[in-house]
Amino acid sequence: MRLIARFALDNKKDFEIVDVFDKKIERQKIDKKNPVVQSLMPKYPAAIWMERKIRDEFGIEFEGAFDKRPLVKHERFPKNIYPLRKDFEKKDIEFDDFKPYKYEEIEGDNVFTVPVGPIHAGIIEPGHFQFSQAGERILHLEVRHFYKYRGIEKMVEGKKPKEIKKLVERISANESIAYQIAFTDILSQAGESQIPSSLKQKYFTVLELERIIHHLTDLGAIPNDAGFAPALAFMSKLAEDARRVMAKITGHRFGFGAIKEEIELDYETLIDFVSHLKKEVEFFEDWIEDIASVWDRFNTTGALSKEKALKYGVVGIGARASGIKLDRRDNDFYKNFGFKMQLGKKGEVADRFMVRIKEILNSIEMIKNFKTGKNEKLCIKEFKDGEYMSFTESSIGELFMYMKIKNGTVERFYVRDPSHINWQAFHTTIYKDIIADFPLINKSFDLSYAGNDL
Amino acid sequence: MLKFWEKRIKTGILTENLEFDKELEKIKKSIKDKVKKHFAGSLAIRMVDSGSCNACEAECNALSNPYYDLGRLGIHFVASPRHADVMFLSGVMTMNMYTHAIDCYKQMPNPKWVIAIGDCVRDLGVFEKTYAIKGNDLKIDHYIPGCPPTPQDIIKGLLEFLKTI
Repeated sequence: MRLIARFALDNKKDFEIVDVFDKKIERQKIDKKNPVVQSLMPKYPAAIWMERKIRDEFGIEFEGAFDKRPLVKHERFPKNIYPLRKDFEKKDIEFDDFKPYKYEEIEGDNVFTVPVGPIHAGIIEPGHFQFSQAGERILHLEVRHFYKYRGIEKMVEGKKPKEIKKLVERISANESIAYQIAFTDILSQAGESQIPSSLKQKYFTVLELERIIHHLTDLGAIPNDAGFAPALAFMSKLAEDARRVMAKITGHRFGFGAIKEEIELDYETLIDFVSHLKKEVEFFEDWIEDIASVWDRFNTTGALSKEKALKYGVVGIGARASGIKLDRRDNDFYKNFGFKMQLGKKGEVADRFMVRIKEILNSIEMIKNFKTGKNEKLCIKEFKDGEYMSFTESSIGELFMYMKIKNGTVERFYVRDPSHINWQAFHTTIYKDIIADFPLINKSFDLSYAGNDL
Repeated sequence: MLKFWEKRIKTGILTENLEFDKELEKIKKSIKDKVKKHFAGSLAIRMVDSGSCNACEAECNALSNPYYDLGRLGIHFVASPRHADVMFLSGVMTMNMYTHAIDCYKQMPNPKWVIAIGDCVRDLGVFEKTYAIKGNDLKIDHYIPGCPPTPQDIIKGLLEFLKTI
């Protein structure tokens, strides 16, 4: 069984823990006076961050947990408040005294640590990586995040579902379309209406375009981190072209506001572009295959073994490059439009690189097949109270979204970004590598910091 | 490899491609002159994300693609605040990034400027104040609005900023 998410609810009279697995959902109520629950950490390592987050935000303790350090509450964040409890309403809090965070470090003769971040050398999001090194070899890495923790779950509470759309699409901009589709799916469930098939085709068209942009960016950035800059020039041009097409068909370069109840897509522009793109990507594949220095770096680097990937429940590109058949698009609807699962073998940087190339080509096929002249509309009049869940395959991996509506307003909102799982498995990939390989491995996963931190 | 060079020659230099609007070309020229005058030909920028949705970062990365190629104007992004003249600041300034962003600013040598990228820095954009958001306290010398500002907006904004100094 794969753990998808573990999160908590505050039901006023008690707390509730919801465990979402791929085959079932488990719920357990917890007494507020003595909030203790059995930990899943020992069996499912992906629960580590989820439980530490719940502990920080709700003050629920986990029995049998081996990691009880704060997660979202950093050094000067007050530790005695539980912001996601319903009785917490403050919007301004003061900094507390500095309490050092105890990193996982290895000690010994000639072993030293290399702290990297939260502000990095390039133009990238903030996060911290603590390396324990023996010379160039990495002995251990702890990934520490939540520098971008904005409290989005609390921000949307008490609002009408439609009011939070702009917020949801800006949780993580590089997966914005996926977030919007998951959100619209939840709204349609709550409105007891079905998304018409032709509208779905349009949604998925934009989603595939988003995936193409994401993959193109990485196909340039990964070789660049291996010292092959021409690929970056080539691919960043194509990524910019794709972004301009996105702006042309949706009105925004990132597709903010693209997924509406009714949309019109300029398929002509889009199909012209993807036909051209297909040739360019095939050229690129042919070209980069001959660059030996690139493959010397890609092969054997950053291997995510199938066992580890399964243990952590890794999703998306990370899972597929390790040979795990896991893709939310693996259903009859998508297959009718030409979806083919793209798999790697060893889970190395090379596999993730190749899976990205193959997925772009597959997305191009699908966009061509998604073309439709129909113009159906999604009608949502009012929202029924209840709990709703949705899954979407974003450009990073499986996105899980949960929303509870009570009295017509959002009672609880939770998102498990694909990055939230994959970041936790990240450290398992570096043990055979040297520290200089880290940027390359990081880029080959290209996870979101904003989506993870919420 | 031969195929690559054939393509390379056929593609030509994209930054001089006429498909690009002339207005931008004009702006680029005046930026180049300003950078030459005030910063001895090289303006170094340090980008700090204090809690954005990562769109602003993506657009700043796009500034170095062959279409915009900021590098040829003498503007480049540097890896350390100690090498920077200007800080690009994006995001809502979370509690957890607050001290780090201020540290980064303190590390920059004088004279220094802060340019805000995107709406979040000014008024949180579409976001709202929560317990986890501290809000920006750094003095902002210039705002480049937008959610996110496009690469053109950023180039135009840079020029406006250069006019003020």
